[in-house]
Amino acid sequence: MHKEIDERRFREFLEESDDLQSDAMRSARADLSDYVDAAREARVTAQRERSHLRPVAAAAGIAGAATLLSAGTAWAANDDVAALQTAAGLENLAVSTYQTALTLPFIGGSDANPVVKAFAMKTMGQHTEHGQAFNAAAQKLGGKPQTGPDPKYADVVKKAVPTIKGPADVVELAISLEDVAAQTYVKDVGLVSTPELRQLFASVAGVESQHKAILLAVQALLRGGAPELIALPPDLTKLPAAAGSVGFPDSFYPTAQAAPVEEGAVR
Amino acid sequence: MSIFRNRGKRPEMAISERELSQMTRDMDELHESTFPQVRKTLDDMAVNLGKMVRQPSSRRGFVLGAAGAVALGAAAACSSGQTGAAGSSSAAPTSGPAGGGELYTGDLKVVALAAALENLAVTAYDGALKKASAGQLGAVPPAVATFVQTAMKQHADHAQGWNAVLSKAGKPTIMDAPLTITQSQVDMLNAAKSVPDVAKLALSLENAAAQTYTFAAANVSDAGGIMTAATIQPVEAMHAAILNFVLGQYPAPDSFIGIDSAVKPDALMR
Repeated sequence: MHKEIDERRFREFLEESDDLQSDAMRSARADLSDYVDAAREARVTAQRERSHLRPVAAAAGIAGAATLLSAGTAWAANDDVAALQTAAGLENLAVSTYQTALTLPFIGGSDANPVVKAFAMKTMGQHTEHGQAFNAAAQKLGGKPQTGPDPKYADVVKKAVPTIKGPADVVELAISLEDVAAQTYVKDVGLVSTPELRQLFASVAGVESQHKAILLAVQALLRGGAPELIALPPDLTKLPAAAGSVGFPDSFYPTAQAAPVEEGAVR
Repeated sequence: MSIFRNRGKRPEMAISERELSQMTRDMDELHESTFPQVRKTLDDMAVNLGKMVRQPSSRRGFVLGAAGAVALGAAAACSSGQTGAAGSSSAAPTSGPAGGGELYTGDLKVVALAAALENLAVTAYDGALKKASAGQLGAVPPAVATFVQTAMKQHADHAQGWNAVLSKAGKPTIMDAPLTITQSQVDMLNAAKSVPDVAKLALSLENAAAQTYTFAAANVSDAGGIMTAATIQPVEAMHAAILNFVLGQYPAPDSFIGIDSAVKPDALMR
């Protein structure tokens, strides 16, 4: 009975959320065009500056410095594309991991907690949108789309999947992927060359961190043997006090686990 | 914690306060290990911005100052006519020559705005705790109390970090919340009569903060400022996710964090 109520209620939430999401996506697509236009403009400007700087620099006898400068700006433009491709690879891996998880009876089947199942479905959809956004930006900047998973973490997931015994294992795997993605995008904010791309990476980093926050809370309840408390709305009176803080461990989001910019670049 | 470390198997067992508290302590230790890196970023930022303040005629100061003025000029243009948390519709310019009378300009205005916004969050959570202690919110579940205390501490950490930048740049620190939105938020807090009332107020503030830092990441010019905003934004987003959950709402409703509800620099009344 409790489960049916949760499921119905959660379906309603998903519908409401989808309405919101449609609005947000329309806005995000418009924003994406801005990101790409600005990045493309920055690239053109960098090329123009290079062509202007060479004769000026040569005349001033600092050709070596000009060469270094132009190499730097070209690197920055290529770096943007590589960062976008690496991000798309991380998103592709997240999508395939949630897809695999949803084939498991305790995540997507009859044994599944309906809230966890719905979360996995919705989150998979959001990662799909992130991947599309990153690839669209990479392509419009002249790069190839990254259609495969991040090579490093694909291997880690491949090894982890056969060891999965229950929902807590899936949640642990998902936390790790969400965390690597969030850390990578936070770091990329400081690396990409235009304000618009910084905004794109920041806007996705925040969402991955939200996924992580919820998964950390779910993990704590699963590990504690209290899966019945994973419900929407939750029974707040029954949650342990420490459950209120387990979802956001850091005052400042770390970046030590960020994937290198080139990790998922398409050669 | 991570699949990239040894994935120890743990028998299912009833959860206890002690276990969860231990997990929280472990996470606090992780936080303490992260903080020194952030401190260094903030120190570097303070040095850069301090140079700008002390040497406005230097080429570097001119370039960075001009970039900041352009960014914040754009911010002023963007925010005019907006509503809600970003709804400070002051037409006053957000940056410009020091002779314009503004205490904070360029990137330092965003830093001051961030400090004020963090102070507002601390004030809101502190006010909620006081109302709870006075029995004005009804029964407060322990998990909600812990959330409020922890989120408040993290916002205090953020405010401390931003104020350190102001201080090292030779500017007065912001110890209150001189924002156009402050009074309306205080009014909402005073009117709150239940945990959901407070949670809604907090959610609004956290969403505004996350969007403000998304905006800041794109619009400040100092590398340290960009990274500091980038590392705080996900934390505010996480607070928002948990608050959505507490309110029985979907925890991550948007695929992209927007900036429509960002508190723009012209909301700073100093």
